[in-house]
Amino acid sequence: MIEFRNVTKKYDTGTVAVQNANFVIEKGEFAFLVGTSGSGKSTLIKLILKEEEPTSGNIIINKKDTTFLKPKRIPFLRRSMGVVFQDFRLLPDKTVYDNVAYAMYIVRATPRHIRRQVPMVLSLVGLSGKAKMYPHELSGGEQQRVALARALVNNPSMLIADEPTGNLDPDTAWDIMNLLNDINLRGTTVVVATHAKDVVDQMEKRVIQIDKGVIVRDDKKGGYDFEV
Amino acid sequence: MTLKYNRFGYLIGEGFANVFKNKKSTGASLMIMCATMIIFGIFLALGENINHFVQKIESDQGVQVFINKEASDEQIQEVGRKIRQIQGVQDTVYKSKDDALTQMRDMLKDKKELLEGYEENNIFPASYVVTFTDLTMSSQIQDQISKIENVDSITSSDKTIETLIKLANGVKIVTGVILVLLVIISIFIISNTIKLTVHARRREISIMKYVGATNNFIRWPFIVEGMIIGVFASAISIVLVGGLYTWVAQSVANADFIQRMNINLVTFAEMFNSIILVYVLLGIGIGALGSIISMRKYLKV
Repeated sequence: MIEFRNVTKKYDTGTVAVQNANFVIEKGEFAFLVGTSGSGKSTLIKLILKEEEPTSGNIIINKKDTTFLKPKRIPFLRRSMGVVFQDFRLLPDKTVYDNVAYAMYIVRATPRHIRRQVPMVLSLVGLSGKAKMYPHELSGGEQQRVALARALVNNPSMLIADEPTGNLDPDTAWDIMNLLNDINLRGTTVVVATHAKDVVDQMEKRVIQIDKGVIVRDDKKGGYDFEV
Repeated sequence: MTLKYNRFGYLIGEGFANVFKNKKSTGASLMIMCATMIIFGIFLALGENINHFVQKIESDQGVQVFINKEASDEQIQEVGRKIRQIQGVQDTVYKSKDDALTQMRDMLKDKKELLEGYEENNIFPASYVVTFTDLTMSSQIQDQISKIENVDSITSSDKTIETLIKLANGVKIVTGVILVLLVIISIFIISNTIKLTVHARRREISIMKYVGATNNFIRWPFIVEGMIIGVFASAISIVLVGGLYTWVAQSVANADFIQRMNINLVTFAEMFNSIILVYVLLGIGIGALGSIISMRKYLKV
């Protein structure tokens, strides 16, 4: 599903953000990407999203090598993955419903399909009653749920979450992680970049740890960090 | 704000919303585009009028077709016949070599002794003065005449025509240069205006990119914004130029010189169609191009 083959990313500034990364995340898997800030975690996410190009190596997504993907095709690659960020990135002047519907509208879904799909995905994230509210009227956890609904509404085969709980208190963070787990159980591949140590420790999922651009650990059922 | 799911409605809605979000810079864009169009309109009106004068004078006096000096009388008659056969020719008046000499004498008046001795050895060519029924075909007809055997040259019989034609060409060149410069400036300024909207909405643009929107999908509302400003500018310009022109034309028409020459100016109504077409194309073109330029940087995510 997501495969990195000898991927190295060197920025123009000379920083080597990722060095010779090799890993495969299978369809339906749940994987944590862990590491301190500046470790290369974000670059890995950006490489998956094709926001950055690898300096060398190949990245294969859904059996397709995206290394030489034409810029024009990138939007279509992105439609196969839902993305959520630490800062939610919702449109403040649109309601919860419209924030989610917007993602479908962009990919030119029919109005009928939108009317059916949006309430469904809002109920999946537990926000059925808040469809008409605006982002500023919601708590942080609820905003992240809206972002998740938006990421899932087009039925992507994988969900990429970059520090999804970074701005949330521990209890809310757990709610979001459980929701991600539920989404994974429905068959979606989930990749979560995080440094929420206790969550990673307790969930006992696959952990890929990156340090100074090098993948130092890849455990099937790991905690955040064995050495500590 | 509720989302409109109709694509066209979405584009127009977004475009209009953007136009009114940055009133100051939209105002600046409008002004520069109006300035471009008004200046262009003035020169266009000037050119139209000069062309109109030329045609008027040509129709009054016709053009003079000079015949090869060696041509025999029969050949001269043949040329006359052929000219009359051309479609659009109204009438031909023959001027023999002698007529030409007499006319020259009249022109020289007190210095006519200069022409003594030319009676036997007349160097002035015979000619036909040709008038047209349809002046728009003037150059086409002149083309055909020049191909007739024994035709030496064609001149507009009046010096003013030549001067006017030169003037008209000059105006055309000046118009062209001014137009190009102003269009470049307009594109630059409008692209800055759109850049403000794009910048204000960069967050939204990045979200759209992550959700998988194509560049065209993102770009179109901004292009529409530019085009809306362009259409507004052309509407304002046509009103201003129309008013200005009508006012100036009235004062000019009352002037002595124009009345003596029995020339009327082109009315604005006659120019309206060509001006509005040029304005709308110019407005839409500048607006769209400005937007496309301003978007380039932001689409690279």
